[in-house]
Amino acid sequence: MGMWMQGGVDEDDKLDVHQTRKILNRTFRRLGPYRRRGFLAVFFLTTWTAATLAGPLLVRVAIDDGIRARDLDVLNRSTVFYVLAAIVAYGTYRGAIFTLARVGEEFLRDLRRETFDRLTAQSLGYFDRNKGGVLVSRMTSDIDSLSELVQFGLLMFLVALFQLVATTVLLAFLQPLLLLLCLVTMPILVVASRKFQRDSNVAYLKVRDGIGATLSSLQEGINGTRVVQAFAREEAQAKRFASTSEDLYDSHMASVRIAAWYLPIIEFSGTLTTAIAIGVGAGLVSGGSITVGTVVAFVLLLQGLFEPVQQLSQLFNLVQSAVASLSKIYEVIDAPTDVPEPERPQALPRHAPLSVDDVTFSYLPGARVLENVSLELAAGERLALVGPTGAGKSTLAKVIARFYEPDSGSISVGGVDLRSASSAELRERIVVIPQEGHLFSGTIAENLRLALPGATDDELAASCARLGVLERIQAFPDGFQTDVWDRGSRLSAGERQLISLARAALVDPDVLILDEATSSLDPGTEQLIEQALERLMEGRTVIVIAHRLSTAERADRVGVVDQARLLELGTHDELVAAGGAYSDLYAAWTR
Amino acid sequence: MRGGDILLTIALVVETVSPVMHCWGRLRGMDSSDTSAERGRHQGRQLLISSLRSVKVRLALGALIALGWTLGRISVPLLVRLGVDRGIENGDRPWLWAGLVALAGVVSGICLGLRRYVAFSSGRRVEADLRLRLFAHIQRLHAAFHDQTAAGDLMSRSQTDLQQFQNVFTMVPITVGNFFIVCGSVIMMLLLHPVLALLALVGLPLVTIIGRMFSQRLFPVAMQIQTESAELASVVEESVTGIRVVKGFGAEEVQRTKLSKEADDVFDRSLAAAKIRATFVPAIELLPNLGLVLVLAYGGRLVLDGDLTIGGLISFNLYVIMLINPLRMLGMILAQVQRALAAGTRISAILETAPEIVSPSKPTPLRPRRTDEGGGARIRFEHVGFSYRDDLPVLRDIHFEIESGETVALVGPTGCGKSTIAQLLPRFYDVDGGSIEIDGVDIRNVDLAELRRSVSLVFEDTFLFSATVAENIAFAQPDASPGQVRRAATLAGAADFIDELPEGYRTVLGERGFSLSGGQRQRLAIARAIVADPRLLILDDATSAVDASTEHEIKDAMDEVMKGRTTVVIAHRPATIGLADRVVFLDDGRIAAQGTHEELLATNARYAEVLASADGPADEHTPAVV
Repeated sequence: MGMWMQGGVDEDDKLDVHQTRKILNRTFRRLGPYRRRGFLAVFFLTTWTAATLAGPLLVRVAIDDGIRARDLDVLNRSTVFYVLAAIVAYGTYRGAIFTLARVGEEFLRDLRRETFDRLTAQSLGYFDRNKGGVLVSRMTSDIDSLSELVQFGLLMFLVALFQLVATTVLLAFLQPLLLLLCLVTMPILVVASRKFQRDSNVAYLKVRDGIGATLSSLQEGINGTRVVQAFAREEAQAKRFASTSEDLYDSHMASVRIAAWYLPIIEFSGTLTTAIAIGVGAGLVSGGSITVGTVVAFVLLLQGLFEPVQQLSQLFNLVQSAVASLSKIYEVIDAPTDVPEPERPQALPRHAPLSVDDVTFSYLPGARVLENVSLELAAGERLALVGPTGAGKSTLAKVIARFYEPDSGSISVGGVDLRSASSAELRERIVVIPQEGHLFSGTIAENLRLALPGATDDELAASCARLGVLERIQAFPDGFQTDVWDRGSRLSAGERQLISLARAALVDPDVLILDEATSSLDPGTEQLIEQALERLMEGRTVIVIAHRLSTAERADRVGVVDQARLLELGTHDELVAAGGAYSDLYAAWTR
Repeated sequence: MRGGDILLTIALVVETVSPVMHCWGRLRGMDSSDTSAERGRHQGRQLLISSLRSVKVRLALGALIALGWTLGRISVPLLVRLGVDRGIENGDRPWLWAGLVALAGVVSGICLGLRRYVAFSSGRRVEADLRLRLFAHIQRLHAAFHDQTAAGDLMSRSQTDLQQFQNVFTMVPITVGNFFIVCGSVIMMLLLHPVLALLALVGLPLVTIIGRMFSQRLFPVAMQIQTESAELASVVEESVTGIRVVKGFGAEEVQRTKLSKEADDVFDRSLAAAKIRATFVPAIELLPNLGLVLVLAYGGRLVLDGDLTIGGLISFNLYVIMLINPLRMLGMILAQVQRALAAGTRISAILETAPEIVSPSKPTPLRPRRTDEGGGARIRFEHVGFSYRDDLPVLRDIHFEIESGETVALVGPTGCGKSTIAQLLPRFYDVDGGSIEIDGVDIRNVDLAELRRSVSLVFEDTFLFSATVAENIAFAQPDASPGQVRRAATLAGAADFIDELPEGYRTVLGERGFSLSGGQRQRLAIARAIVADPRLLILDDATSAVDASTEHEIKDAMDEVMKGRTTVVIAHRPATIGLADRVVFLDDGRIAAQGTHEELLATNARYAEVLASADGPADEHTPAVV
């Protein structure tokens, strides 16, 4: 059996009993709200089990007291009861299926919502630390693997469990001695099951890794199609994928081999027990201690003992993968938000000065990206941040927008610390416009309404008109109702940026943080973008991450960020006159 | 056996077999109606049949093993009957019968294990084969298909749907086994006592009818569940990729509402499916119970009258019980077949999408590269018109030539069609009107692989594979020597930062690897194109994220890169435009002017305006803030 023992699995990856129990406990607690339906389902299943098990017992009565006693009345009565039992079994099974499915689906729906809520409540730092593909798979493949359990597994599991317990009790009641003799096969079953559990745990983890690898190759294949085609490497890529895919096949098969070895043992134990029941039963009958009917009922009921064991073993993998998925989903739900909501949010004063007070920040402990940065902006003032790539100017902008929490120091508007403002209010007051306009699939109008869900069509048009982009948007085939396709791929980069500006205008924020496009936008739209931007900035406090000195020159003040510090701060003229880093830059530009 | 009994027996067998025949007939598409759902099912069904064929040896083996399993199983009630009648009632060697029961268990147990193995191996084989087919096909599909299909959707089809699809194959041997069990049980019962057998089996035809209704009702709902799940996945995917925007506008609530709605839809459809299951599954289980009742009532009388032994009655009971599981599974299998058909329909929708851009049947070879003519390719746009959608022309009457070895800059405002021209050259899209020629050959007449080896397009946003730096650079020529890779990296201005990476050229990049800045990625993409050594190199804004200062550094390198080939650059920085021999100025999908940069600046007001709109001519020297 050595071939099932192979495999080195990461210790951290192993779901030990303790952890599994914790996850299961937690899941049961989560099922609390559905308790009443759950009890109803249990009631249905109990009744169903009783009605199903009544069959063999009625057969026993019919044989012993009816047929063998030559009493037609008893035979007829047992028949009638049998019919009743069948009808009850039908009704309760139907109820059990539906009630259980409803509990399961409600559980999944709420889990989906909660996971997504928690996910979207995370700060950007969380999304920096975790790969997007992995986060998406928590909401898709991980929850999907639960839905299989919900749709079939849960029902099968409970049915098998109830049958197992009820049958054992019944058999013990019928003839304890015979049951004990029949249970001599149990040790084999227990030993085999434990080994099966251990081996299939190892095999399962390998399968899981294989699935992960296959999915990411697949995703890469889909996202990289254009590059692959550009270099005519389709066949080579398919070959590369084939080896990943074959590895997954191999680990699937390794896991099947384990089951293929285990199942015969269960099956054989079942018939061996029947054989014992007949052999021993014959002895007991001839000894006169039990009736033939009892032996017969015994043999019939034994079926109900081994079938559930087999079903439970089949469910084991399903439960195992569900527990693994749940543990990963709970991880997402449990992740603390590093930008928490205040308990008693304070209102931010409007049109007030913004101050950054001695802010220090690092993405990773030890590597400071901002060090003791302080600055004060009057309402309506424009500040350009300049500095080399990686100097910290984007980070400063993001910290000001409260995408990240500073390690120390604070940011406040009109004296109110941003930490004490609700995130909803914060996003109405401070809007960040990234370098590239990111659109979502859907219409232009839907993309605009992302910023202000209740905006009317007129409000959309008015805010676009204020920026001077209304005509441009109306020129699209279906105007505001134009479908922009997946991630806005139907529009050019410049057009996407225009829509992203219109989106910002709709919010009407006090503070605008702008990451200036390096040069990806074409001059033609750039003019329109420039004009829209100018109008958007009017009357607002603006912080722009400048990539061009001309932008810096037009700003009220310029801040030079280098090596995590705010090196210089002043008007363009002051800084040029001061002869520091900025004046060097300026000299290079005007040479 | 009397004549009437035989007729009844035949009728019964036909009725028993008919659900299976019926399923097979449906699989082969014999009864097809013409609704669109039916057509969808037809596609899924075709895929199911061809996949069944691909693993037919395994499935046949599985069926054979299932037969062994059936024989083992079916003999148990018989042996139990003999055990009860002879062993227990008459005290005649009870342990012999017990031993035979155990032996039957050994046979059925071994066959069960083998069956499981063969069943799963065929399912996983189908899965692996289809996954590869899907992957290879998606790679070949034209750009327009990818524009309109969300990556999340493709993922869910090649993942969730494929999973559903393969499940059916693991069920084939057990279904065959179950079929044997049903037949075997029926035959044994008929041999034991035909009339009692008919009474016991009276419910069977009903199973066919109910099973059929079940599958018809479940199919559309199963399809809807898959669709809704894919929509939910899309919301999650775009929220995660666009998280910066979601956060920036505090649009978490908007996205949550979207997701909540999708989750409701999935819930609603799943519940509808549960309702259908709850109606039909118990009904399928009820029927054998009716058989048991009749066996007990009538069989009991037969025993009382001395026409049947008690052992016979018990084995009748065991045979009817033996029917319960196959019939119970029939419901599950029918449901699974429905899900698989729904999934197969969605999978084959991709596989059936023919790539629109394909090699011609009789390709014209390009003439060999000639260094005396500049080493590049001569490109000619012949009155080209193009639109992504019929209603929105992007290019109108584009007519120009590029000489071999020449470098041409495409300049123009957003939406003027520059990038579209770049995408037309390697045939990501085909022109609607006119033609594009390379060395005098219409590109549609050139073998696609040859064309794309001759034309390299470097995109603005660089896609890197989860592979080492060296593998990414040598993507087009995996057998390129380390020296070639290093030289390309040096030319592209990437060698310095690569040397600083933790493992140099062996550093793994991509989703699961080291992440690089936009400018670094772009330089790798240029190195990749250099290794490809194309006749025509197209740089579509390929240095936009490279710091202008660095770009200045790699200017000499770019000159070197452009040597010996034709180059098309799309750029906005005058510094980059300055690399070109000639500028083609596009406006609103047309060629507005052509000439050198200086000529156009001097003669074309619009050109000057477009370039000046950002920062004026001084932009040429703007080191985009060091």
